[in-house]
Amino acid sequence: MERTNLSETEFRKWVEDHSDLLFHYAMKRVGDEELGRDLVQDTYLAAWRNRDSFRGESSVKNWLLLILKTRIIDHFRKLNTQAVVLEISPENDEGTFFDSEDHWRKGMYPSSFSVNFQNEIEGRDFFKVFESCGKKLKQIQHAVFVMKYVDDLDSEEICKIMGLTSSNYWVLIHRAKVQLRACLEKNWIGK
Amino acid sequence: MTNSKITCKKAVDLISKKEEGKLSAFQRFQLWRHLAECSLCRRFSAQNKLIAKAFGLRQPVEKLTEKQKEEIIENVLGSKPGQ
Repeated sequence: MERTNLSETEFRKWVEDHSDLLFHYAMKRVGDEELGRDLVQDTYLAAWRNRDSFRGESSVKNWLLLILKTRIIDHFRKLNTQAVVLEISPENDEGTFFDSEDHWRKGMYPSSFSVNFQNEIEGRDFFKVFESCGKKLKQIQHAVFVMKYVDDLDSEEICKIMGLTSSNYWVLIHRAKVQLRACLEKNWIGK
Repeated sequence: MTNSKITCKKAVDLISKKEEGKLSAFQRFQLWRHLAECSLCRRFSAQNKLIAKAFGLRQPVEKLTEKQKEEIIENVLGSKPGQ
């Protein structure tokens, strides 16, 4: 194999040109600054060490993004799902939302609120609340939401990555939604 | 003919699966019929869409500082293989 002989100057340019994009991509998915920075640094480290295998078939940007994506999935994979799974006992859980007739239990009624994303100020205010509510989710809940709503992964793929059974997955998603909803209801006044 | 009436619990289940495009024609009909007469599940469905949309739309505000970028460069170039 021919050595590409990437110079340190070129590497510097990789960071200058793409680190903002990579960091943004990571932050949209992990929501923790320190972790986001670590993931970006790991990505560059892997790219630097494997620079000989970069053949320029894809753009540098896409190559870096691919490495970052793999790192993020690895991070999700390593989250401990056990603690959350233990909390999910199907009998108890179903009872929380629905009564014996499988109708919404009083007190668990979904309430109505809405957001006009077209309205810049309203949208901005909503996202402030949404971010702080999102931070209250457990890491696993957050990870599942990200895979589902940001990256559009299928439930089967998510279960495989997280080591969840399908029934635990649906309960986890449902719980996270209820929790997020309750927080939004409480803190978001745009009804 | 199977009874097409479903409970709220079942409707919620179908709403989640609908997000993934995993409903049969009959399930879609069951859900449509349930939502026509259940305002609570209609609300749930609307909120569900809102949460999904918000997750997709949100944009992180955090940025890397020049100093942090410099640190990345130093850390990577200064690292030894196998470290």
